[in-house]
Amino acid sequence: MDRRNFVKLVGTASGGAVTGACGRQAEEIIPLLVPEESVPVGAEQWHPSVCGECSAACGTLARVMASEREIEVDGELVRQKIAAVKKLEGNPLDPVSGGRLCARGHASLQSLYNPDRLRGPLKRVGPRASGQFEAVSWDDAIAEAARALTGVDPDRILFLARAREGVRAENIARFLDAIGTPPATSIGVGDFAAEREASERVFGRSGLPLYEIQDSTLVLSIGADFLGGWTSPVLYSRRYGHMRQGRRELRGRLIHAESRFSLTAWNADRWLPVWPGGELALALAIGHVLLSEQIADAPASVVSIFADVDLEQAAAASGVPVEAIRQTASELAQASAPVVVAGASMVRQNSADAVAAAAALNWLLGCVGKPGGVTPPTEPLEALARQPGFSGDWSERLEQAAVVLVDGVNPAYNAPASQSALAGAETVISFSPFLDDTSAFADLILPDHDPLEQALLEVPAVSPSPSFAAAGEFVAPLYDSRPTATVLSELAEAAERPFEEITVEEAVSTLHSAVESAGSGTSASDFEAKVFQDGGWQGQPSRKPPATPGALGTFEIASKQAGVVFQAYESPQFGSGSGANRPWLQELPDPTSSALWGLPVELDPATAARLGLVNGDNVRIRSEHGALEAPVYVNPAAIPGVVSMALGQGHASYGRYASGRGANPMVVVGAAHDERTGCPAMGPTPISIEKIAGGARLVQFSRQDRDLPPHRV
Amino acid sequence: MAEQTTQQAEQGAERTPQWAMAIDLDRCTGCEACVVACASENNVPTAGEDQAAMGRTKHWIRIDRYYEGEFPDIKVKYRPVMCQQCDEAPCEPVCPVNATYQNAEGLNVQIYNRCIGTRYCANNCPYTVRFFNWFAPEWAAPLNLQLNPDVSIRPAGVMEKCTFCAHKIKRAKLDADAEGRELADGDAQPACVQSCPAEAMVFGDMSDADSKVAKQLGSGRSGQLLESLGTKPRVFYLEKAD
Repeated sequence: MDRRNFVKLVGTASGGAVTGACGRQAEEIIPLLVPEESVPVGAEQWHPSVCGECSAACGTLARVMASEREIEVDGELVRQKIAAVKKLEGNPLDPVSGGRLCARGHASLQSLYNPDRLRGPLKRVGPRASGQFEAVSWDDAIAEAARALTGVDPDRILFLARAREGVRAENIARFLDAIGTPPATSIGVGDFAAEREASERVFGRSGLPLYEIQDSTLVLSIGADFLGGWTSPVLYSRRYGHMRQGRRELRGRLIHAESRFSLTAWNADRWLPVWPGGELALALAIGHVLLSEQIADAPASVVSIFADVDLEQAAAASGVPVEAIRQTASELAQASAPVVVAGASMVRQNSADAVAAAAALNWLLGCVGKPGGVTPPTEPLEALARQPGFSGDWSERLEQAAVVLVDGVNPAYNAPASQSALAGAETVISFSPFLDDTSAFADLILPDHDPLEQALLEVPAVSPSPSFAAAGEFVAPLYDSRPTATVLSELAEAAERPFEEITVEEAVSTLHSAVESAGSGTSASDFEAKVFQDGGWQGQPSRKPPATPGALGTFEIASKQAGVVFQAYESPQFGSGSGANRPWLQELPDPTSSALWGLPVELDPATAARLGLVNGDNVRIRSEHGALEAPVYVNPAAIPGVVSMALGQGHASYGRYASGRGANPMVVVGAAHDERTGCPAMGPTPISIEKIAGGARLVQFSRQDRDLPPHRV
Repeated sequence: MAEQTTQQAEQGAERTPQWAMAIDLDRCTGCEACVVACASENNVPTAGEDQAAMGRTKHWIRIDRYYEGEFPDIKVKYRPVMCQQCDEAPCEPVCPVNATYQNAEGLNVQIYNRCIGTRYCANNCPYTVRFFNWFAPEWAAPLNLQLNPDVSIRPAGVMEKCTFCAHKIKRAKLDADAEGRELADGDAQPACVQSCPAEAMVFGDMSDADSKVAKQLGSGRSGQLLESLGTKPRVFYLEKAD
């Protein structure tokens, strides 16, 4: 039996069992080893899968039914019966999603069935970024890619990948080991480099802490838009719902500090509008006031970072009045189960420090490792600990690179300054299933299967217990694409540097050994069967706080920037921009502006009035890094002088729904980065604004921002 | 005892459920997961930018959001709004062909085959949750593969709206029948309710006092949208508890 059939068999077992788990009838289970023609029309199967949209790695269930597609055979259109995915839902057995799913998760179906997916490997024939490619066979493509890798200084080979832990990352690591190049790096998007660095300092552990907000009585969130995105939006939304109304007679409260009226700010009982970059000053100021309150016996190293803070100076730098800081600190001190959620949804030049200072407040509150507090990161699953880390010097390495391999990230969009390096590299190889901003620069595009078409094993960014989500294969690939792990193995073979690819099944049995040592008491085959039945595995939650924090370092408060500043942010619907080619998401009203099929520049009413701007007028925003033109949305909740724009539009190339639509805010933001981690910052960037004639139209779902007077009957 | 149980089961089978939804606005985050879940479940087509600019998008469920106050003391009020499945539905009496009516389970149903497209119903709906198909819907292949075979594609010239996922209610009933048991609370879940990350939405039989939805309706925070119009919606909102 070859690998594919083995995987299908496993997938069938999983489908059957999950079908059972969801209360469906056993008769509906159709083994996928029988031809797809015999999947009865109208019967549904539910197969576990893993959502690939963000770092949360939610476990999902895919609803699979008989369907038909038209394909060309010998120049004639014929109908082919296939098994198709009809819907995605959360997997109730998954500890992260708990059976729920966000807008982006649902819309990932439109990645699988996107009309602009690449049909097979492509070779560039025109100039870089011209979009001129020709179809090429896999054999030729791999031979050519292998030639590019041979004879090049291995240190000049750069692999840019997503920061996701799992089997894919392990295979990338094995490939790079085999060809002798440094580890893959992410590009600072969705990898939470600032949060990870802060966690090392504050909790002495690598990884991301878990905030137990479901049991909190008061949540203060500084910089973390945990309901609109961030590390795990579905998990934290579930926990938020419970915090508000899941407990008898106890409603938790939320205070949110951010420089934007985000979804989390919408939901807060009180929003503290922080000047962009002032998050560190705010955290230090709150800690300073807390020291004078009745608080827990905090470690001396933590107390020392807050002791000498000048409250007035910190308040001025944060943009939050001293009175509001005192009130917040006093409420935290009085709460029976407070917690401070520390994050950098918008990365600043001082984000690692800001997150560390905010997270350290939890030591002052005595809630580290307590119910309703913060759980420091658990130990990673050893067998899969090799996720692509983030190297702050990735852009310099890109400048030097002879061969660039790109998987799952879009540097040409998220870091527009990288375009010149991409244009200048000797060889660029992309594994993107789409002709996106970055693969447009590629010499070879070796398109990956869609996540729904391949076996997966991914470790979530945060989880209530040590866990991973896994899936077998359950629908045949639509096109002549290939899983990237397989392509890497073929590539290494062709370059005469072979490595042993680890399959999802092998990873599961390796993980079984790790779990067995913890005394789970299951056999390897039972473990594997259960993993594919349940769509993953979860162990016992660990609640062991470290005895002391790590080396916290020093903190410096920078004064508030003067003038009008610009910041980019990740919206709930488009994330870092990858959601823009899904029509459902383009037609989903932007929560802030209600915009459809486009994103505006958001500015406050006073600034708009000063410039004579109303909704829909177009402006040119200019910084020292670049300029963009976009329509204006006058946001009643914008901080005066802070102009915001969501990532999502402005793709030079990303299929029919996204290409050439709107503007990319990163062009204006420039290449500033968090000073400790090198993670690209999303502002604040000083800008000038000028009104321009004409321009793009602002299409809004609701043009009305204020409710009408009560209806007269 | 056994006889009594059988009798109860028979009575249960005959009881007509009265479907209702409760939405806890203190849990709802406004994330719009329900909006995409609905489009996916119900084959709701996208209109594209030009039609969207004319206000012709179809969102069977939407998040209404209104700002209140001024910066920095600004708040936003928002709620998911879909067909309110009114007991006294203003859309029903104006339909000249009875294409829309209330069924025995309290659902405001829309018969696409009967609809002749007068759009009177949409004009008369105070919640603006009815949508007219100006054109036949199109999906660029292979996006058509995502279509749910349980839900009809609405042709040009007819109205469409939220059905409370009537097809999912039907499937839940068939599953329960096949397993020889009564429909249990929570078996029937519209796509929006199923998806909601904050678990803000509850759906069920309001005539069953033990159902989750009936319990939510007993909460002191429960009310209806534009209650004063007397439309008697089957969607109940639990107001924010701040």
